[in-house]
Amino acid sequence: MLFFRSEELIDAWCRTRGVTPRPIVRMDQLWQLAVTWYSTRLEAESRRPAPNEMRSIFEDLGLAGDFWDPTTDMFG
Amino acid sequence: MSLDPTHTFDTSVKLALYGITAESGRIPGLNAVAERVGDTPAAVKEAYARLRAQRLLWLEANGVTVRMAPPFSGVPTQHQVTVDGIEYYANCAWDALGISAALHRPGLVRSRCEQSLAPFELHVGLEGPEPSSWLFHCLVPAARWWDDLVFT
Repeated sequence: MLFFRSEELIDAWCRTRGVTPRPIVRMDQLWQLAVTWYSTRLEAESRRPAPNEMRSIFEDLGLAGDFWDPTTDMFG
Repeated sequence: MSLDPTHTFDTSVKLALYGITAESGRIPGLNAVAERVGDTPAAVKEAYARLRAQRLLWLEANGVTVRMAPPFSGVPTQHQVTVDGIEYYANCAWDALGISAALHRPGLVRSRCEQSLAPFELHVGLEGPEPSSWLFHCLVPAARWWDDLVFT
């Protein structure tokens, strides 16, 4: 889970490693993920989102598809 | 920090671990957590295993060293975050923004572009980061993140 300055640099990084580029996330989307995951982390009742909740969170941010599905076996 | 008698032991351990980390910028050792919760290191170790099962901690193989208490990292990484003058390490780009989100405080993220190695600075306010064209990329699909969280 890394930062990149541009999509071209992501492609170059993936080419160098012979891996498939994955969906790209903007900073505003990343902030929403950070808030959803961590805004209650220092509180007693905090917990990690359950898989079905994760799917819904990702979809609400426009992050859909098998890559974002925590229950898929597409990447076995 | 005073202990709340209504909390379960595991919750007290989690709050102690995170509380010390938030105060110091470093994930504490087993003994420091045990001291804060007023129990034995062995009992804290058992709680760690249960918190790991809930995917709240990532432990080293010894079961007592906390490598990750997300969003905080127990080891130095390329993702540094400064909040109220305290330096933290984040596990990844996501967690770099997560530290301000967890602490509910503005912060400054310092990281880099992994391809060009250009330095990256991002001011994060209470309502989110300043506008930025930088991007986030994750190689590992969501279903496999916890197979090897260090690699992810």
